[in-house]
Amino acid sequence: MISRKVILTGSFGVGKTSLFRRFINNTFSEKYITTIGVKVDKRTVEINGAEVSILLWDIAGEVKQDKVPKSYFLGASAIIYVFDLTRPSTYKNIKLDMDILRDVLPDAIIKIVANKEDLVAAAAIEKVKESLPFPIDVVTSAKTGKNVEPLFFDLAKDFIG
Amino acid sequence: MVTPEKKQDEALLNQLQSILLREDRATVQQLREAMEDPELISERVGPIIERRMAFFKENFPKEFQVTVDKMIERKLKASQEVILDVIYPVMGKMIKKYVNHQIQMVKDGIDETIKKTFSKRGFFWQLKSKLFGMKASDQVIHEMKDYKIEEVYVTQRNSGLLFGSASAEKTIDQDVIAGMLTAIKSFVEDAFKREREDLEMIQYGTYKILLQNFYSYYIAVAISGSMSSSEREELGNRLLNFAEKNLKKLPSEPDGPTFELVSMALYKKFIQS
Repeated sequence: MISRKVILTGSFGVGKTSLFRRFINNTFSEKYITTIGVKVDKRTVEINGAEVSILLWDIAGEVKQDKVPKSYFLGASAIIYVFDLTRPSTYKNIKLDMDILRDVLPDAIIKIVANKEDLVAAAAIEKVKESLPFPIDVVTSAKTGKNVEPLFFDLAKDFIG
Repeated sequence: MVTPEKKQDEALLNQLQSILLREDRATVQQLREAMEDPELISERVGPIIERRMAFFKENFPKEFQVTVDKMIERKLKASQEVILDVIYPVMGKMIKKYVNHQIQMVKDGIDETIKKTFSKRGFFWQLKSKLFGMKASDQVIHEMKDYKIEEVYVTQRNSGLLFGSASAEKTIDQDVIAGMLTAIKSFVEDAFKREREDLEMIQYGTYKILLQNFYSYYIAVAISGSMSSSEREELGNRLLNFAEKNLKKLPSEPDGPTFELVSMALYKKFIQS
């Protein structure tokens, strides 16, 4: 079995904790409770007979990544950068945020995740995709669970190599 | 129009009233003067008020207890935080005093027991007390409150991933504990901007987590009971020896075989012994 640290980061209210809960416990709550500091939990997944233990760090949301304590990122094998498809303010700094994340963890896998798919029409998602300087890796809905499992399973596959 | 006869009748009536009501009018005048003089009023009314006050004092609890109780209850509910702020320091002192008193009683009891005991241990305590000046009761208490290692974790410093762990009893997921410990450590060290200083202990009630920091990992030892400074130093040396012997060749990423080896060694060295 291998263990890897994965960070969930992004602006506040984008649904990091909802993705965290959906992946760890397969639950969802409409109630918004802001994360204070950081919460750590684990789930072990099996990929082609090999066990991968994902230690997921759900970090309190900040408007810009330079506000997040650097020490939280250290030792992470992957970063999941989450934004909210319904709030442009959560992806308007994406270029700057990517630069900061690359600077802190040059070798880590970075996944750009557009969350709250259930609230936006397909055409609007396409528009957001076109406006971004980077491709979106996964479009998810923590509420319906859409693409949440594939997101983490793909990461686990990347860890095995 | 008033006739002369009628005028004469009125004069006669006035004269008659003056004669008949002279005394009454004088009394009314006296009363009016008495009412307007504060000294005279207080002289007369004072004793009556005093009597009513005495009655009121005597019967207040009976008449108003329910109302007052309700008022106090309402006030206490509305000002709970203020009241707690006021009584907390006082309560703290009282509890401290009470605990000290109880400890003193225990110590006195132990002293008494030792005096009456002719066992080898009793002689040893007495001898140590004579030689080193350490009260026998302190020695007994010290022996009573031995610490116990409950859990040990060897954790990668940055990632919070476990290289190995051992526990006396089954606890919640140790990977999660190690992750959260690392998050707390990172937060404290980050928040106070002490780059070259490390968090060394977390205390919760009688439970302590000692953190021994190394370059790429740290060892966290959860202990229950109390530990003297010399015992802590001794445990620190045991951890250094353990690291020297077992953690020299840790891989850059924690893996399964390393976890098994380190966990077994931790169990033998710290939990089983």
